[in-house]
Amino acid sequence: MQMVKKIFIAIALVWFVLIAFMPKQELYYKLEQTLEKNDIRLNEETIDEGLFSLTLHKVDVYIKGIKLATIDEVDFFTLLFYTRVEIENLLLDESLKSKVPTQVNSLIASHSILAPLKIKLETEGSFGGAEGSIDLKEKNLHLDLNNTSMKGIEMLQSTLQKNEKGWYYETSF
Amino acid sequence: MKHLFKAEVFKGILALLVLLLIVKTIWFVAEVLWLPTKGINEVDKTGAKSLYYRVKLTPNEVAAPTTKPTKVVKQEGNIKEIKLLAIYNDSAITVITVSYKGKTKVMSRGDEINGFVLEGAGSNFATFSKNNKTYKVMLIKSKTSTNAIKSITPVEPSKPVTTTSGGPTGEVVDVGDHKVIDRSLINHYSENMDDIYKEVGLTEVKEGKNLKGFRFTFVRKDSPFAKLGLRRDDVIKSINGQEINSYNAAFGVYKNIKNIDNLTLVIQRGKEEMELEYEIN
Repeated sequence: MQMVKKIFIAIALVWFVLIAFMPKQELYYKLEQTLEKNDIRLNEETIDEGLFSLTLHKVDVYIKGIKLATIDEVDFFTLLFYTRVEIENLLLDESLKSKVPTQVNSLIASHSILAPLKIKLETEGSFGGAEGSIDLKEKNLHLDLNNTSMKGIEMLQSTLQKNEKGWYYETSF
Repeated sequence: MKHLFKAEVFKGILALLVLLLIVKTIWFVAEVLWLPTKGINEVDKTGAKSLYYRVKLTPNEVAAPTTKPTKVVKQEGNIKEIKLLAIYNDSAITVITVSYKGKTKVMSRGDEINGFVLEGAGSNFATFSKNNKTYKVMLIKSKTSTNAIKSITPVEPSKPVTTTSGGPTGEVVDVGDHKVIDRSLINHYSENMDDIYKEVGLTEVKEGKNLKGFRFTFVRKDSPFAKLGLRRDDVIKSINGQEINSYNAAFGVYKNIKNIDNLTLVIQRGKEEMELEYEIN
C-alpha cells in the first residue's frame, strides 16, 4: 500500500512539474508556425503565462494577410488529460456579415482523455447558442443550434439542416 | 552523532530536485531543438496609396463631393479656350488648374477667368457660370502616359446590364473616352462577394512566393465585368494606384470600393500593360 501511495505521489509530482515547467509561450509560437503554413496568422497584444494556462489578449486574426477577425481574449488551459481553449468576444470583419454571423461572444473547445477522438464545442453569439463536437476519427463537425427562429442566422440557412432537435450544421474535413 | 535531517526527508527532497532538473532539462532540450523562440506576426500593410485617380488628390477615405450642375449647357463661346488640366477636390475646398491662352492658372471656387466663375468640380469636370448659364468643362485626358501604360477605348458600345431579381442592378455606360459605372452596381458587388464569382473567375499569379496580381480565368459574356472591357487571361496589376501584390491589398481595395468616385485598373493583357479608367456615378 505504501508503495502504491509512493508511486501515485511520484506520478502526480511528475505531472505537476511537467505542466508547470512547460514552455507554454514557445509552444504557442509553434502553433503560430503551424497555422502560418495554412496562411493564418495571429497578432496578439500581450501574452500571459499561468501555471496551467496561457492567455492571449487582443488578438487579430489574419487569413492570407487579410485581417478577418479580432478576439478580446484567447485562453489555453491544460491539465494534459483535459485541455480547453476558450475564445471570448470574437468579432468577424463586417465584409463577412452576408455569409456568417459576425459576433461570437464565447467559443469553448475542450478535449478530454476520456473521449480522445472528440473535441467538444460550445458557442454563444449574435446567432444564439450552439453545441456540438468535432469527430477526429470520422473527420466531421456537427453543431446543434439552439436558435429555432433563425433570427440572425438567415444567411446560414442554405448550409443548415433540420432534425427533430432543430437546426444543425454538419461538415466534413 | 545526532542527525540534522531525517534521511528519508532528505532523500525525498533530493528526488524532487532531481525530478525538477530532469523535467526542466527535457523542456529545455525541446525548446532548443524544436520550439521557436519568437512568434510570427503579420505586418499590417495598410499604407495604400492615397491616390485613387491620377488627378484627384483627396485621401481615399474621403469621397470627393460631386457637384451636380443643375443646368448644363453645351460648351460655347470663350469657354472653349479654357482647358481643364487638373482637379483637387475634397469636402472643404475645390482647386483646379486650367490653361487659358497658353498660360496655366490655379483657381479655387469663386475665382473668375475670362468672365467665367468657378462653381464647383466633379471627379473629371469643372463647372463655371457666366450670365446665369452653367458651363461644364471636361478634364483633358493625359497623353503623357508611359509607353508601357496606355488608355484603351472600349471596343463595343455598352448596353444596360440586365437586372435580375436579387442580382446586380445598375449599368455600365460608355461615354466615349471612358465608361461610367452605376454606383448601385458597385454597392451590390461590395455587399455580395459571391455574385462576383458568378461573373468572373480569379486566380492568383505568383512569381516564386510573391503575388503579382490576379488573373481572370473567365469573364461571363454580357456581365458587367465584360462591359468594363475585361477579358479572360487579363491580369489585374493595380487598382487606383494600389498594387495588387497581396490578398490584403486586394481586400483593402474591395472594402473601400464603395467610397471611391473613380476607378483605374492597370491590367496586363498578353505582354502589354493597359490602364482602364472608369467613373463611378
